[in-house]
Amino acid sequence: MKIALLGNPGVGKSLIFNQLTGLGVEVNRYPGSSVALECGNICYKQERTEIVDLPGIYSLDGNSEEETLVRTFLTSGGADVIVAVLDATKLERNLYLFVQAAEFSPKMIAVVNMIDAAERQGMHIDAGTLSSHLGVPVILAAASEGRNIDRILPVALGQATPARVHVPYDHHIEAALKSLEKTIGTPMHTNLLALQGTGDDPVLLDAAGAIAQEIGMRHRMSVGQIIATNRHNFAREITAAVVKRTARKKPYDLDSLLTRTFPGIPILCTILFLLLLSVFLIGSWMEGIIVAAFTTSIIIPFTALALPSLWDQIGFSLLIALQAGFGIAFPFVFTFYIGLSLLEDTGYMTRAAFLADRAMHRIGLHGEAIIPMVIGFGCTVPAVMSLRLLKTRREQTIAAVLVTMIPCSARTVVIAGIVAAFVGILWAFSIYLIVFVLLILTAVVLSRITPGEQFGMIVEMSTLRRPQARLVLAKSWLRIKEFLFIAMPVLIVTSILLGLFQYFGLTELFEQMVAPVTVTLLGLPGYASTALLFGVFRKELAFETLAVLAGTADLGSVMTSVQLYTFAIVSVLFVPCVSTIAVLYRQLGARIAIITSVYTVFLGFFIGAIINILMK
Amino acid sequence: MQPSLREDYLEAVQLFSEKNTRFPLTEELAAALFKTVPVVRSDMAELVSSGDVIVTADGVITLTGQGKQTGTSVMKKHETLQCFLSEILGMDSILASDEACTLEHAVSDETIDRLGKLIVTRDHYRHQGKGNRHKPAGDRTCRVEKDEFCQSPSISEFSEGEEVIIQCIHGRACAQRLLDLGLVPGERAVIKRRLSNGAVVVQVKGCDVAVSPEIASAIGVERSP
Repeated sequence: MKIALLGNPGVGKSLIFNQLTGLGVEVNRYPGSSVALECGNICYKQERTEIVDLPGIYSLDGNSEEETLVRTFLTSGGADVIVAVLDATKLERNLYLFVQAAEFSPKMIAVVNMIDAAERQGMHIDAGTLSSHLGVPVILAAASEGRNIDRILPVALGQATPARVHVPYDHHIEAALKSLEKTIGTPMHTNLLALQGTGDDPVLLDAAGAIAQEIGMRHRMSVGQIIATNRHNFAREITAAVVKRTARKKPYDLDSLLTRTFPGIPILCTILFLLLLSVFLIGSWMEGIIVAAFTTSIIIPFTALALPSLWDQIGFSLLIALQAGFGIAFPFVFTFYIGLSLLEDTGYMTRAAFLADRAMHRIGLHGEAIIPMVIGFGCTVPAVMSLRLLKTRREQTIAAVLVTMIPCSARTVVIAGIVAAFVGILWAFSIYLIVFVLLILTAVVLSRITPGEQFGMIVEMSTLRRPQARLVLAKSWLRIKEFLFIAMPVLIVTSILLGLFQYFGLTELFEQMVAPVTVTLLGLPGYASTALLFGVFRKELAFETLAVLAGTADLGSVMTSVQLYTFAIVSVLFVPCVSTIAVLYRQLGARIAIITSVYTVFLGFFIGAIINILMK
Repeated sequence: MQPSLREDYLEAVQLFSEKNTRFPLTEELAAALFKTVPVVRSDMAELVSSGDVIVTADGVITLTGQGKQTGTSVMKKHETLQCFLSEILGMDSILASDEACTLEHAVSDETIDRLGKLIVTRDHYRHQGKGNRHKPAGDRTCRVEKDEFCQSPSISEFSEGEEVIIQCIHGRACAQRLLDLGLVPGERAVIKRRLSNGAVVVQVKGCDVAVSPEIASAIGVERSP
């Protein structure tokens, strides 16, 4: 048996999914889509049952990746039973999706979640009446308290039936649906979509398009608007019949602070600053502990083994890669994910997006893009992974290039370790300044040349609520697993390759090959190219390798200030690390990964050369 | 006298009296119909004898009950025909008016009735969902709207706390998501927040929806009564 959870974003689907499946969750990707589907297997009455958490959507009519995915899922009979999760406090709006899903006539049950919140607002929902209106079993549940969650599986497996709802569409639409069904023989839900221009049957689309135009002319209103209005009105009638309201005193509305320009924007800046600061502080503290523990307990015993030198080199590279992975993943990325999940689960993220929209708009993006940008200061890999939040390909492309340019925590280490330490603190800030100027210039150019339509922002403000520690941790854990899954293999392979590279003495060959660029163009010592190469592997390695190759930790004594400054700015700007390239490839395809890499290499060398020429 | 000429006179007098809230002098009627005063004066004598008009001593032409009925009926026919020709058949409005002047004398009451209903239906659909009450049929005249769909001000032009009724959503690209979130024509919405750049948070169906300025400008609304 396969059960799928369907619902609007923020109705508590994830929490229900989490409570139903426990820990055995895996993330699958639908073929040809970057949308993640969470799946979990459980055993119920000696039968294996698979539960799928479909992405949260508002409608089945749209063409976003999520909507298309859920639609394909429904038409292809992806699940035996659909569990429609509805938010009790927003029942009317949630029923809109329910009636759409019902048109695909899968076996369904309805779970009205957050009944506790609804009761607090003075709303009483009559489950019996709702069930008779919808024609499916209805469960009133409160996932945050675990109320009635245990009833979902038995009811879903035992009593699910196709819903008996029929939206009374405008008579022209009804006539069009009947005539399409008669002439072409397609079912109603396909015809409804075709009238709105979605579908893959050219004959049907052609016929439906002509009818839709006619109806649109008659009503002076697009068919999409008529259909949506009919559905909303139907949902309103059901809601009116099942919800009884008693007046309650309205609680204090925090939004009067959060969404205003003042004090909203200062609050936003403070929250983001505190997030970055705490991630940086907690991260470096934990990184120190993890790296030290790793070194003393694993690396030192390993080198003490004194294996044959080739194996020693491979083993050492492997261990270094693991150390790097864990040294970044847990301290920085995991902390960041916890902070991010907190912001999401409290519902603050949508407020932040609303406030940030104005600034983001100037660079061809929208409010939601603030999330990847902020994550980018921590680590580029999760920032790129979060790009899927953005709706259009255009925004994803622009944001991908920008996010890879934002100085992540590893690049902060390079700037601090080389420039702040040996050249001067103000020079270190000037690097940030240069990066931000380049970032904005790139953004302005990209927003002009990137093809695609500019799409404004429409977000539903999620309800402000207390986050659930369990859910925050589960979410962060799932994300860090995804991070390790992407980053770890790349780190290990690159590390071993670099180790072999060094072992067979290819470093000198490489240095000679790239000498025209590094020595002539950038004015750096030959060994700096190897250090830059290592920086591709992990940014702060550029700094560490440089010290090793220079033979002294006091870099100021072997390189001039200009050389150090050039080296730092090149390694900050050029090529995102291999993990970033891997995740760019995975999320956005080879083209974007190559363009971004080539652009940043070019930018790094170009700016490096200019600085070298100007300051020499 | 030709019946069409009689109808033209009565229509012109009725039109003048509705426009100026008084009856015309012979000279004024002559000017309105591009005729000479003596011709009009002699024609008026005929109309007085058929009991359609009364000419007072100072030259004012007043309609009798019978004259007024004919004049009004012809005027309505003209309006309906002109409306049909220009708005539904898409003819140029001046040409349509000329054509209506010829047709109005021959057309039957039934045809006018049915044409009238057709136009009312279209008018009705155009305003469906607009939230405002339909005008009574008798009062309807031919209005040609410049913007085909909606001329309501955008939601950004209202201030925080105001309750509005959504009239229309321009543009195709962003419409779907708005519709899905319940921002459909006819729906009530409260503006919860409005930033200076025109971005708004609207409460609709109990949910708060944040909308960026360029999309807010595509949402036409009217103040809720």
